Amino acid sequence: MRVNFWYFGSLIVSLTVAIPILTVFTSFFENTTNYFEILKNTFLAEYIFNSLVLLIGVLFLTFLMGVGCAYLVSFYNFPGVNFFKWALILSFAVPPYIYAYSLTAFFENYGTAFSILKSVFGDGDYNKSIPKFDGMLGAILSVSFSIFGYVYILTRASFYYQSQNLIELGKNLGFSKFKSLTSIILPSARPAIVAGLSLVAMETLSDFGAVSFFGINTLTTGIYNSWIAFDDLAFANQLSFYLLIFILALFILENFSRKKAKYHSPTKGGFKQKEKINLIGTKSFLAFLACTLVLFLSFIFPLSQMLYWTIIFPKNFLDLNFQQLFMNTILLVSLSSLVLIFFSFISNYGNRVSRSKFLNILTTFSVSGYAIPGVILAVAFITFIAWFDDTIINFFEFKSVKKVFIGSILGLVLVYFVRFYSLACNGIKSGYEKINRSIDESAYLIGYSKFKTFLNIHVPYLRNSILLVAILVSLEVIRELPITLILRPFNFETFATTAYIFASQDLLEAAAVPSLFLILIASFFILLTSKYILREDNE
Amino acid sequence: MSKNYLEIKNVNFIAGGNNKVKNVSFSIEKKGDIVCLLGPSGVGKTTILRTIAGLEKIETGTIKLKDNILSSEKCHVEPEDRNISMSFQENSLFPHYTIEKNIYLGAERKNLNKKKKINPKKIIKLLNIEKILDKFPHQISAGEAQRASLARSLVAQPELLLLDEPLSNVDQSFKEEIQVQLKQILKDLKITTIIVTHDSYEAFYLGNKCGLILDQKLKQFDDPYNVYHFPNCIEVVNFLNRGILIPAKVTGENSLENIDLGTIKGNFTKHYPKGSNVQLLLQPEDLEHDDKSNLKLEVVDRKFRGTNFIYTLKTRNELYVPVFVHSHHVHQHEVDEKFGIKRPIYIDHIVCF
Repeated sequence: MRVNFWYFGSLIVSLTVAIPILTVFTSFFENTTNYFEILKNTFLAEYIFNSLVLLIGVLFLTFLMGVGCAYLVSFYNFPGVNFFKWALILSFAVPPYIYAYSLTAFFENYGTAFSILKSVFGDGDYNKSIPKFDGMLGAILSVSFSIFGYVYILTRASFYYQSQNLIELGKNLGFSKFKSLTSIILPSARPAIVAGLSLVAMETLSDFGAVSFFGINTLTTGIYNSWIAFDDLAFANQLSFYLLIFILALFILENFSRKKAKYHSPTKGGFKQKEKINLIGTKSFLAFLACTLVLFLSFIFPLSQMLYWTIIFPKNFLDLNFQQLFMNTILLVSLSSLVLIFFSFISNYGNRVSRSKFLNILTTFSVSGYAIPGVILAVAFITFIAWFDDTIINFFEFKSVKKVFIGSILGLVLVYFVRFYSLACNGIKSGYEKINRSIDESAYLIGYSKFKTFLNIHVPYLRNSILLVAILVSLEVIRELPITLILRPFNFETFATTAYIFASQDLLEAAAVPSLFLILIASFFILLTSKYILREDNE
Repeated sequence: MSKNYLEIKNVNFIAGGNNKVKNVSFSIEKKGDIVCLLGPSGVGKTTILRTIAGLEKIETGTIKLKDNILSSEKCHVEPEDRNISMSFQENSLFPHYTIEKNIYLGAERKNLNKKKKINPKKIIKLLNIEKILDKFPHQISAGEAQRASLARSLVAQPELLLLDEPLSNVDQSFKEEIQVQLKQILKDLKITTIIVTHDSYEAFYLGNKCGLILDQKLKQFDDPYNVYHFPNCIEVVNFLNRGILIPAKVTGENSLENIDLGTIKGNFTKHYPKGSNVQLLLQPEDLEHDDKSNLKLEVVDRKFRGTNFIYTLKTRNELYVPVFVHSHHVHQHEVDEKFGIKRPIYIDHIVCF
């Protein structure tokens, strides 16, 4: 282990990121108000039950769509297969809460579906025959369509690397296509599928926008309510603790399964590009139909709904301060990307140079921030700042720092930093994993210092990773809702918060315009990254 | 003040917290000398190079170059400040630079001691890598990458050059040619070099001295001739695998007796009292073939090595004895045939354990 500037740099970054996580853990031992008793006797069971139902429903649907689509585009040729390969990830551009607005807007009484039926068949009482996708079903559908992409991307990458030999072996043994799927293809892609589903589970449990829109009480909304309605920060943190334990278990499972996934990497001699099966006739049409349906429901439907409302209510479009919202969003995106990339580099290089096991464990712990719902992070951050201000700052009789961190851009970016640190850190780390250590050592041996090696060898080599991380962080920041909602400065709005505020006031038509812009900007970023996300060696 | 160019004294070489090679001492006397380290895979040869380069630290002993301490318990000069170059076994070229840029980066190193400047173009030509200069590391073969890495290390003209299996990925047909040229360049530029290899022929050809690392120890450090003909322990004999040990009894000042081969005469490298039971090292070139001899052994295997054959013969007591025969010998012997051994057997230097 080598203790130097890089070691301390990395240590400080990891500790900073770990603070909110530690805050949640320590809050477990604090006293709470009697809200806990009230809650225990009333809603706690409902929170847990709803969280579980939501989780199971979303896992089932995302498995079906993610694995199904990945299987079709990986093993078969049918019209549009190359288009679907990347178009299916566009669903990431639609956050669950915007999907929820679309779903409600389309199927509600006198909603879009009603208008379509009326214009086609004339006046009538169609409201009774239009199904209603609200409540739990609406939440499950909204979350599933929005995030099935995790399962799709990881499973597809795993299918890509499945050895042709393995599939040929199945054919040799006389397996049918179905038997090959269940006995060979799915079991060997299991780690990737589990990894995808774990991400889905984490996102589902931490979802705030969609469930609160549909009025579903889950643990996440419970945390928000205990803080907002009952002003009980300690209990909010304790609830967070339970959720965090659950999420950390999933996170460990996901981590474990990712490690196993390495067994599926191709060996130099063993990998052979798979020959896809050409589908013809009905089978080809059915495959095309399945992918079209998923693409339509996950992306085209919410996009069209938002576009439709923007067109028929042009006043909302004209009233929206687009320039300000865009500038605010870009400000947050740029600051967050810069901060995250800069500190991820320090952390990764510090780990690489020092080779400290302690630092490695601390970094692994600190990246679990991604598993913590935004609501929890924001609450934990406020808790920490309040404690810091009341004890440390007060002790030295300095001026209060609450205003510097709470309700400020700085605080917002700091919490984004914790939330998306895993994304940035792992993105840079995966780039670093491709640089053999002997490259660094060669640089030292031709006289390069640590800093010169970093600047002249690593940074230029990792420029693609930097770009990818910047885009992924931007995508997340644009879609992010609860942290922005809780910690944003007064009168500072983004597309996401504007859409949420309109929607929470039942002004869905007005929410459509910022939602549409959010989808379009996010789609633009997805298209920029699709080359990397779908890269065949991306497992 | 030490008169050695490089001196390694009582060093425990450590990698990943584990002792790899213990209590090693050896030195390179003159600038421009070449030392080859031999040993099986995983024994710690690379760790020795990495430690000398400054990539690993030491807890005991000292490493001195030109009388300056590079590593000791208290002192550690960083690799970038040592003026030591190392060529790694695996590809260590900078992936985002062309091969040419990679090589010329080596020449950027500040070296005030450069009297005779090396011409990178000459090195490039010697290593036959002119055609790949515009390519990137991922576009070339492992052998080409290894040669490019070697070129980068050479053009740096370091005070000490460390080569880790420098030619392991190079085609056999090209290997001998490079070995000749490499030796010439190192000699011309007087670059002091330590080469790690598992190829004993490469070590014997390139090295002024050879060190054998076995069982976590430096077992022998000597001239190549001595390492081959006067191995100092059974482990070295087994590692070089160039002979067998057969039981024998010392019968006089210059003779010993084996139950199957009879009397063997020659000069003992070490004194053994008459009547001692010893293990005699018998190398393929120690026995001579003679069709007319009455000492006949059964052929159990025949290896064709181009310039020669090595026959493996079985004795009555099931000893398997190797015998070297020039490949232009008038006739060949098939497996199961009888093979005559010239008597009396005379071995110029008798090595026993």
